Parts: sequence; structure tokens; C-alpha cells
Amino acid sequence: MQIFIQTLVSGLVVGCLYALIALGYTMVYGVLKLLNFAHGDLYMVGAFVGYYVMRWFGGPSALVIPAPLLVVLMMLIAGLGVGALGMGIERFAYRPLRNAPRIAPLITALGISFILEDSVLLLFGGYPRDYSASDYLPFSGSIHIDGVNIWSVQIIVVAVSVVMMFGLRELVNRTLFGKSMRAVASDREAAEMLGINVNRTIALTFFIGSAMAGVAGVMSGLAFGQITNVIGFLAGLKAFTAAVVGGIGSIPGAMIGGLVIGLCESFSSSYISSQYSDLIVFALLIATMLLRPQGVFGRPPLQKV
Amino acid sequence: MKVRRIFAGTLGVMALASVTVFGGTSSAHVAKVAGAKIASTCSASIAIEAPFSTGPAIPLGLEQLHFAELAVAQANKANGTNITLGQDNTGLVPATAVSAARSIIASSAVAMIGPAGSQEVEAVGPVIAKAGLAAISGSATLPALTTDGKNPTFFRVVPDDDVQGPRDAAYILAHGLAGAKGSTILIVDDEEAYSEGLVAVMTPLLKAGGYTVNHQSYNGADTGATLQSDLSSLASKVTSSTHIVVIPWQSAGNAQQFGKTLEQQGKKAILFGTDGTNAPGTFIIPGSYSSNFGPDISQTKTALDESIVKGVAKYGPYGPFGVPTWQATTVAMDAIASVCKSGATPTRANVLAAIKKTDIPASQSPEGVPIQFKADGDLKAQAGFLFKIEAGGKYVEIPDK
Repeated sequence: MQIFIQTLVSGLVVGCLYALIALGYTMVYGVLKLLNFAHGDLYMVGAFVGYYVMRWFGGPSALVIPAPLLVVLMMLIAGLGVGALGMGIERFAYRPLRNAPRIAPLITALGISFILEDSVLLLFGGYPRDYSASDYLPFSGSIHIDGVNIWSVQIIVVAVSVVMMFGLRELVNRTLFGKSMRAVASDREAAEMLGINVNRTIALTFFIGSAMAGVAGVMSGLAFGQITNVIGFLAGLKAFTAAVVGGIGSIPGAMIGGLVIGLCESFSSSYISSQYSDLIVFALLIATMLLRPQGVFGRPPLQKV
Repeated sequence: MKVRRIFAGTLGVMALASVTVFGGTSSAHVAKVAGAKIASTCSASIAIEAPFSTGPAIPLGLEQLHFAELAVAQANKANGTNITLGQDNTGLVPATAVSAARSIIASSAVAMIGPAGSQEVEAVGPVIAKAGLAAISGSATLPALTTDGKNPTFFRVVPDDDVQGPRDAAYILAHGLAGAKGSTILIVDDEEAYSEGLVAVMTPLLKAGGYTVNHQSYNGADTGATLQSDLSSLASKVTSSTHIVVIPWQSAGNAQQFGKTLEQQGKKAILFGTDGTNAPGTFIIPGSYSSNFGPDISQTKTALDESIVKGVAKYGPYGPFGVPTWQATTVAMDAIASVCKSGATPTRANVLAAIKKTDIPASQSPEGVPIQFKADGDLKAQAGFLFKIEAGGKYVEIPDK
């Protein structure tokens, strides 16, 4: 039972992070029909921003502000910074290619991914950075359930992720901006004709998606410790898988897909072998594409007759 | 008359001054030229392959690079040579190591230091053998590298895992680190040749000691959330009857993250790492052990050790990976110098032949053992060192009884 609970907790933490990244994928695909393969690296940049904010405030061993305030600031600054970076990437790398064949922005996205990875490598080196979160958010603050320790950071990750996911759902369903976003995702030209500022809507969509990835990066540093310039690639692939499994373009689908992938990875590592966890996750992707290409929550494409 | 005498005297003084100035300069110039000839006749280049900028072992790679650079500077000064050191990053990835080796082969390098990882030597060995390029590693310890016949120009200045593995297993058994007999020892490999080799050597010895061995694997190349899933699942396999987890990994960072995961889950097992985890400043879980083939020379007082410690002080904390790399580099440098002394121009062939004849006494080696090679490239002497990590991340060498 202990192993089950431990695995469940670990899977939920990882799943929440995949879900946050997957939301960015799905939002951008919704408005632009673009698979932004640089999105995983925005998560990586967020992790580095959070790390240096922590260092700036004296962390990990000589903090000058209370730890809860530090965590809030790390997430806020990483979110805003990476959000702005995402907007910049959209403006200069993707907008000029909006009317180009679909392959062009896809390849550009791959190029941006490499640029981000190598820029971080050049600026900060390949040496792993350690958040050392247990120094300022000690393990002694854990909750104990049936012999399993649930660390406060793990609770923070799940709680913040749930709040962000529900916040996004409310934003999309109940605000004017959300309506604009849905309109642009449905039919960009018609939305423009109706007076919606498409460029601004797309830019803000990128901002929100990138900000969420940035916050996910900070939380991954807090929960896992080590960050390097290559953590974004595999996380991005898994989040893409989550978005596809859940239904690319569907926000609830991305949330559920992320949790499914995280739990799948965690349980297969624990109960089968960590050697097969990637195999199982990507086999799930292939199975989804073969059996239900639109994903669990996606709608099959309409055929005009 | 008086004017002529004054004129002649002035000319004489000028002539005398000229002889003094230009004659002195000429001899100094000749001396300088002669000196320059001695230094510049022994020019060559060597190159190092190490994971110093990408991959899971950057701290080790940087340490190796810094110690190699120091060895080149010291040997050039001592031998009067002009040997330069090129550098190529491998990230511990065999394919990258092969690309790096090809570019070294295409250059004028007459010898290579590294590669660092056993899996890299497996890939690179046959390639450099074809080019007749000698490679001396300070860290590739898989036994098969010198016994399978595929790497005839490969040498190492460290003992292989057939020494490290049994020594570590014997220490665990002799000091009761695994608890009472019948307890479980968890041993985890990272799916690389080095790690799997050590597991294969240690597992039967630990079983023979009366313990149950639970062998698990994880992908050492995983990063981020996937890595954490792997480590979390491994940690969940540590039960109350598991007193020790043996982790012969190539990444000290992963060892540190695993230690933190164990702590977070409230698990109390001792971590026992091998040389791949030995990195002060990175793997610092108190109560853990980490073996290595290089000593901690900061505690000895020989002039040689002090000169090395002083030479790398500016780079901050280092582990025992640097010393073997310093030694490997010095072997290459001395081989080139001996070729020059014999009046020949260094080539790959004559440098390789000189390396085979290396004979450095223990008193001149910071490893504390004589440096001589067997016919297969293995070091004749066999030595190993073990460290315990104390509070604050301090590595304390355990004396060899």
C-alpha cells in the first residue's frame, strides 16, 4: 500500500507539470494550428529564472525573505518573464509565417527549441543547478499518510497546478478574452471580420501558455532539485503526448491527458520497470493516434459535403 | 695632431662600445636562438576528450580538463617542450566521442587523453586504433576494454572494475554496511556499460556474503520529470530490510537527487557509490560512501602533490578524478619528450611505442603507485580508495587497512 500511495503522489506531481505544459501546447494549437515544439524549452527557461531568483534572495542557505514569499516571487517572476519571452517568440518567429505552408512554422519551432537550449548552455554552462528546496522548505514539514511522507513542495505543486488549471478554464469560458480566444480558434478570418484583434488575442494566448510553462519549470526545480538546459526536451515531448491523448485543442483534454501520462509513467516505473516507462507512454500516443486520433476529449474533424 | 689623436681616441671608444654592445647582443642572441631551438624542436600537439560541457558528468569532465591543462603546463616547463592541448567535449555519449575522435585524428595530435567513459572507449577504441593514435584514460575502468583485443592503442592509468568492484563489495561485507545477513541489498545500474559491468562483478560477491540482492535499472540519460519518476520508483523499492543501496552510476548529480528523494520519502538506507559518483560539491549526502581509483592528494605533503593542489586551487572543489587524468597527460607528455630527446620528430607511431615503455616510479606519481603498462594497456599496479561523506559534504578518505 505504501508503494501505491508513494507512486500515486509522485505521478500526480509529474502529471500536474505535464498538464501545465500541455495546456500551452493545446492553446497555441487551438489558435494557430501550430505545434510549438519550443514550448518544452520555455518550461526549462522558467526553471532557470526561478533558480536565479532564489539565488538573488540569498538561497538556498541564507535566505533574506521568508520561504513562502520566495516561492511566490519565483513563480511570479518566472511566469511573467517566460510569458514575455513566449510573446516575443510569437511576434518575431511565428507571426511572419502565419500564411506560410504549415511546415515552415513547425521547423521554426524546432529551431527556436535548439536556440533556447543552446543559449542557456552558453550563458550558464551545462553544470546542473540544484534548487536545494529542502534547505528552505524542509522535509520535516511533510504530511504522513500510512507511512508515506508527502512533502510540502509536492502539495504546493498539485495545489498551484489545480488553481491554474481551473483559473484557465474560467478565463476561457467566462471572460471576453476567452471568447475571443475561442472565436479565433474556431475561425480566424471570421473572428477578424467581427472586429476581434486577432494578433493581440494570439499574443496573449502565447503569453498565458508560456507563463504556465514557466511556473511549471519553477515547480519542477522545487520538487526535483536538479535542472539543466536539456530538461525541456523530454518534458515537452511527454506534454505533447498528453495534449494529443487528451485531444489537441481541448483544454480539459490537456489537463486530463497530463495527469494520465504522469500517472502512467510513475506506475509503470514502480510496478513494471523504469526501463519501460517511456516505451509505455509513447505506445499510448501511438495507440491514441490509431484508435481515436482526435484524442479522448477532442472532436472528430467535420467533413463538409 | 691633437685633433687627430682626439678623433682616433673617439673612434677607438666607439669601436670598443660597438664590440661590447653588438658582440654581447650577438652572444645573447645566439644563446637565445640556441635556447629557442631546444624548446621549439620538441613541438607537438595532444588532445583531450572529456564530458566538460554537456551531459550528466560535467563536474568530472571539467576536473579532468583542468588537471590535464596543468599537467601540460608543468611538463612543458620541466621538459623544455612546446606541446599544445586541444580539447573536445563528448558529453559521455559514444557517438559524440567518435565524432570528436575523428576530428582529433584529422588534426596533428600525436596522442589523446581520455575518453572518460567506458562506453565511449568501446566506440572510439577501434577508430583510433586504425589511425595508430594512442589514448590514455584516467577513468575508463570496464575490464573488457583491454581484454577484448579491440582497443590495442588504449591505455589506462587506473585499475579496472575487477579491482574496484570486489574491493567495494568486500568493504560492504566486512563493515556490516548491509545490516544483518539475509537483509536485502538494492543495487541499481544506469544502463551504461560501466555501471552494468560493476553490477555484474559485485552482485555475486554480495550474494555469497549471505545477502539478498535486488537488482534494478534506470535510464541514466533521463532528465527532469522522467528522471524523478525513475528515482522515486527506485526509492519506493527501499524497504525496512534494505540497509544499503549500491549505485555504480556515472552521474554524481543523479546520485545526489536520489539521496534527496530517499530522504524525502523517509528512507534511511546508506548510499554506496563508485567512482562515477565521486564529486565533492555535487554528491554530498552525509553518511554515504564513494569509491575511486585516485587518492585525495590535498592531505599529503609531497612537493609534487602540493604543486598539483596549488595549480588547480582556483577551480574550486574537485574529486579524485583529476589526479589520474593529470597522470595520463604526464605519461603522454613524457613519451613525447623522450622521442624528442632521441632526436626523432614525434609521430603517432613513435609516441605510441614510447608510451608502452612508460616507467614512472611511485615517488614521482601522485597516484602513489608505479606507472607501468601491461601488454594489453592495463596499469600493472592495482590501487583503490574509498571515501565517506561527512556532514557538510566533506569527503574523508578511509585508510586502507
